[in-house]
Formats: sequence, C-alpha cells, structure tokens
Amino acid sequence: MRARLTLLMATCFMALPVAGADPAPVRLNVKPLLCVLDKNAASCAVTFDIRWKSTLAAEYCLNDEAEPTPLRCWPKSLAGEHRQERLVTQDFFFWLSPGAGNERVAEAKIEVLRVGSADRRRERRSRHVWDVL
Amino acid sequence: MKFPILLAALAAGMAAAPVARAQETTPEPATPVASAPHALPAEKNWRLGVGLGYGERTNPLIQSEDIPVVVDLDIAWFGERWFFDNFDLGFALVDNARFTTNVVARLNSDRAFFGKTNTRYVNFTVTSGGAQVPIPPPPAAGAGFDAPVELKVPDRDYAVELGLEMLLDGEWGHATLRAFHDVSNTHEGYEISADYSYRWIRGRFSIAPSVGVAYKSAALSDYYWGVHADEVLPSLQGYQVDGGVGWEAGLRTSYYVTKSLRVAVSANYEKLTDDIALSPLVAEPYVLGYFAGLAWQF
Repeated sequence: MRARLTLLMATCFMALPVAGADPAPVRLNVKPLLCVLDKNAASCAVTFDIRWKSTLAAEYCLNDEAEPTPLRCWPKSLAGEHRQERLVTQDFFFWLSPGAGNERVAEAKIEVLRVGSADRRRERRSRHVWDVL
Repeated sequence: MKFPILLAALAAGMAAAPVARAQETTPEPATPVASAPHALPAEKNWRLGVGLGYGERTNPLIQSEDIPVVVDLDIAWFGERWFFDNFDLGFALVDNARFTTNVVARLNSDRAFFGKTNTRYVNFTVTSGGAQVPIPPPPAAGAGFDAPVELKVPDRDYAVELGLEMLLDGEWGHATLRAFHDVSNTHEGYEISADYSYRWIRGRFSIAPSVGVAYKSAALSDYYWGVHADEVLPSLQGYQVDGGVGWEAGLRTSYYVTKSLRVAVSANYEKLTDDIALSPLVAEPYVLGYFAGLAWQF
C-alpha cells in the first residue's frame, strides 16, 4: 500500500512523454511543476530548472507555450539543461520539439494553484468540532 | 443584554469597518512572456474535499472519550447568494469590496461533546463531617459501603442557531464577526464571536495562525454545561453556569503536493469560559484538537 502510494506520488511529479509518441525516447523534467498563489497575488516569479535526456542524438528545441519561438535549441544532443526565469499567471506547458518544428516529443505542464477565493464565503471557517482542516 | 440589541450593535460595527481589498501589482516579467492580467477562472458551485489522516479533539466532559478524527469531509455548495457549507446554511445579504454579511443557520457545536460519554458507577461513603464523597471501589464486598451510585453525564440536544456573520479580508488577513441565537427553543441563549487569521505562502508551503474570542450567554452555557435541578445526584452536585468569554488559538499548515493534494497539519487550542471550566461536568478547562494527514480537493 505504502509502495503504491509512493509510486502514485512519484508519477505526479514526472513529466512523461506525450501519449502516442515513440516509447519514451525523450524525457523532460521540470522543477517546480506547481506555482501556489495567494488569492491577491497576480503571479509567481519562478526560476525553472529544466533537464531533458534522449536515447537518440538529434536536434531538440525547448519551447514555452507563451513564446512563438523556441527558448533554446541543442544541435545533435542526447541531453540538455536550461534555467528559465518566468512569471507564471496560469497553467502552461514547456515542451521539446525536434528541431524548430511544433511536434511535442515530451512535455511538462506547469500548474497554478490559487489558494483562497475572491468569494469570501469560501474562506469562512466553521467552528464545528469535527472541522480540523 | 438583549440579543437584538447585540445584533444591531454588531451590524453597525460591521458597516463602519474600514477595509479595502487591495490587489497586488504585477511586477515586470523576468522574461517577455504572456503574463498580462487575465480573468480568474470561474469557480465551481460545489466544493468537495476529503482529509485522511489521524487527529483528535479532546473532550472536556467528565468520563468522556476524546473525539477521533480520521476522515474530515468537506462538502459545500455556493450559489449566487445561497450557500451550504458543511451543515451551515447561509444567504449572502451584503457582498461588496469591503465585507460580506451573511445570515446563517447552524447547529451548535457544544452538543457534539455529549455524544461521547459513558456511564460509570461510583461508591460513596459518609465522612465524619456528614458529606458524601466518592471513594474507590472496596477490595471486596463488605459492610460499611453503600451500593454503587450511577454517575451519568446528562443528555443534551442539538440547538439550531440563526445569526449574522460578517467576513472581512485584505492584505492584513481575514476576520470574522458572528452573532447567533438559538431558534429551536433548546438553550434559548446566544453566542458572539470574533476571529482573525493570516495566511503566509512561501513556495508550496502555507501557514495560517488564527486567534478568536467568543462570548457565550448564561442560557447557552448553563444549558450545555450546567447541572440542572432535576439532574442532581449524590454523585453530581447542582451547578449553574453564568455567561463568559472563552478564547482559542490555532495553526493550520499545508504543503501542496499537486493542485488537488496537500499534506495538512493543524492544531487548535480552545480555552473554555471560567464558569464552564468550574462545572462538575467538566474535567478539563480546554479543548485541544490536532490533525495530520493528506487532504484532497476534488
């Protein structure tokens, strides 16, 4: 049970290859994958640590959903690392494409979690005995 | 003091509260990205969550059991004005940039402690002064001891309470003012409370300390925590409870693993009013609650 839970949690953190692509030739790991915002905060300022590995040496380009052009390309490489500063306001993807194409050989979704709500009723705390969270 | 006067005073205080809902300014992006302000996604009407872990809330009553908390369900629905929030039924009367005022019907939570009590039997003997006092059971049945006497915590009913609550927030934190009165002819008393909390978020970690005070009227306090004339036993002396102020302090922390899963650790300490603490029904003058586990939001 404990091992299953660990496995389940581990899969949550890993950015897996896009479904339907070749069996895991490229793996893309991005940290962090979650930006937690208080309700009045507009954005997270994050420095992303991006690493990828491939079983096939080729040209790969790192893309950001908000950018029309790749952030960086690696000619004929098996692995790469990149650090990217970015303000995050909503969910988005980093992905790897072959060369300058748009095909996604691996992707990682960055999620934004807003803690709290503009609706104050959702922030109310009851005083019930069983309410511990 | 009459409850309607209290409500009017509270409402006046609510209207005068100078609060602004400040918005943080968006800093310049570190790199040119599409980070322009955008509308927040609409929230679902339903809020469903479950917490699994271990915790408990102590029970201040004599011969009672603490209340274990293994599963904590969060079931709430929010309409335009009506809402249901974990057995509280509410209607938003006023909602503006400064505050939200709701009329809310709820169940009194003091009753929950009376669901975890036991009946015990106590042996009594007469002292030289003439008073009867409980003594430990004798090593063997013998002369000189009366038959064991039942010591049972009296039953209490749930009360339906109706009242007003005012929710305020800003960069300074969150505050709630509440005034509730019994509408079920159960205790016929009232409670006025105020609490404040502030949440810090650093990375995936959030921490929210809180403090609160509550005044419970004599009628409410005596109904739940007093020993009434028809409940007096050789093992339980009569006791009338007056109104009083209690306070609480708490800490809620979360580590967000994913958008819907977090590790939650919380603790809460509530000090009962002085008069309640002196009741023969009360063994401990406080309620301590804690919980640690995983919480999912669906």
